Amino acid sequence: MKKTVLIIIGLIVLGIAPLVVRSPFFVHLMIMVLMWTVLGASWNILGGYAGQVSFGHATFLGAGAYTTMILYLSCGVDPWYGIFIGGIVAVLISLPIGFICFRLRGPYFSLSTLAVAEIVRLVALNWESLTAGPVGLLITTLPQVSFFGKAINWESKVPFYYIIAIITLIALIITYIVSRTRVGAYLLALREDIDSAESIGINTVKARVVALALSAFLAGIAGGFYAMYLRYVDPDAVFSIGLSVEMLFIAVVGGLATVGGPLIGAIVLVTLGESFREHFLSGHLIFYGFFMMLAIRYMPDGVWGRINTLFKKLRLKKDVNHGTA
Amino acid sequence: MALLDVEGLTKCFGGLKAVSNLSFQVNEGEILGLIGPNGAGKTTVFSLITGFVPPNEGKVLLEGKDIVGLKPYSIAHKGVARTFQIVKPFRKLTVLENVSLAAFLRHSARKEAEAEARRVLERVELIDKAASYASDLTLSEQKRLEIARALATNPKVLLLDEPMGGLNPTEIDHASILVRDICKSGVTIVWVEHVLKAIMNSCHRVIVIHHGEKIADMPPEQIVINPVVIEAYLGKKANSYKKGEPIC
Repeated sequence: MKKTVLIIIGLIVLGIAPLVVRSPFFVHLMIMVLMWTVLGASWNILGGYAGQVSFGHATFLGAGAYTTMILYLSCGVDPWYGIFIGGIVAVLISLPIGFICFRLRGPYFSLSTLAVAEIVRLVALNWESLTAGPVGLLITTLPQVSFFGKAINWESKVPFYYIIAIITLIALIITYIVSRTRVGAYLLALREDIDSAESIGINTVKARVVALALSAFLAGIAGGFYAMYLRYVDPDAVFSIGLSVEMLFIAVVGGLATVGGPLIGAIVLVTLGESFREHFLSGHLIFYGFFMMLAIRYMPDGVWGRINTLFKKLRLKKDVNHGTA
Repeated sequence: MALLDVEGLTKCFGGLKAVSNLSFQVNEGEILGLIGPNGAGKTTVFSLITGFVPPNEGKVLLEGKDIVGLKPYSIAHKGVARTFQIVKPFRKLTVLENVSLAAFLRHSARKEAEAEARRVLERVELIDKAASYASDLTLSEQKRLEIARALATNPKVLLLDEPMGGLNPTEIDHASILVRDICKSGVTIVWVEHVLKAIMNSCHRVIVIHHGEKIADMPPEQIVINPVVIEAYLGKKANSYKKGEPIC
């Protein structure tokens, strides 16, 4: 009951925030927080629920970004379909990667994702006929779209805010559904013990591929949005290892295998990061790292996990007090 | 026709023949004991039957159909469940979640799977611990959880790998009753064990393995007086040993 009220309040805040606070920097910050929530949620499905730590998630982000961009520039496909197709392309790319990397377990899997991500980045850098190489792709105008008869002004950040808000909701709903169904239960089993999971009839390769595909889909969509929002992609901007690691940070700091964790992680880290980015370039990663260390030491279940345990303790205390009174 | 029919199973690890031309049958409704000295190949036999390790040669027929070459998960689907000698619970999940996961094999809805899991937990007397994390259980409880998880897949054949290892005498008696109960409910059991007392009291038939080969296959009362078995366990001199004589 309380949860429903909280969720409704959250949705209302999400809905009116850019109308109340009109500062462009604030809206930009909100957009970044939401985008990183989607990326954190994507990483969380594979790394948090299924326990398969990936260092190469930028691959899927980049695949989504380039797909959306290339489809728009050379085929004139509207970004709204392009973003979705970007997600699908990310899934298609994830399948062979899963097929190769899931033969390995634990740290070896993680290292192989790192290797694959580098390969993909180098391919994007050198396949100039498709990606324009290090020059990158740039769009100047977005298509005319009208909403209730009013043309949308792409120079304002507010339309982007609502688009990413919807994508974020979809990502959180997918995570929620996964956490509540058999699929999610299977992923947790994978995280805990692959042999045991096989022995009770779980096709662990298939389960891992499903987790990777879901994860890639979300990262691909976020990537498509990223490209449209910044209107520019190049291999180092969307395929870099830094991005993969940031996704991991957000999921871990927020709380692995929780629905709300990535949102909390993104709020904490992106706000910190973007505030410091003004003063020194790439400085945000130092703070990410610092915060990550604090989180691992003092909140191994993440901020969200920590809040949950605190709440549980408070409730227990209340019950005890009631009992004695 | 036997429920499970193992024919000429052979597995080599490098130069070591862990299991060599092993054949035996498991009849429906029986408890078959599988004993042998350390390193005899008992756990390997289980891994071969359940598909965790592929055999070099031989067949494993479940109700007449060969299951060699299938992946562990599809063998579980066909109705062969196993426990692990070194317990492998899903440590960070609760007892109920552990067992529900296995029940998902036959029930796709979470509610049904949980209801089934609760029934199984009542049978193995772990229902009081349903909300505890698997890592917080005692070894005896973890061994029972291991059995519960295997049972929740609703198997035809249950392979128990040393469910009594590390338990005290009271717990062993308790667990023996549980194993016999499971058998009575219609599950065929193959049971690897070092606690001979439990095997002798509960099994209908016992197979002895030594160096990967079968050396005896008979009812438990005959096993204890069989000279070949005594030799495998205690050495050649044991047969000529008379009471009161020094061993060396």
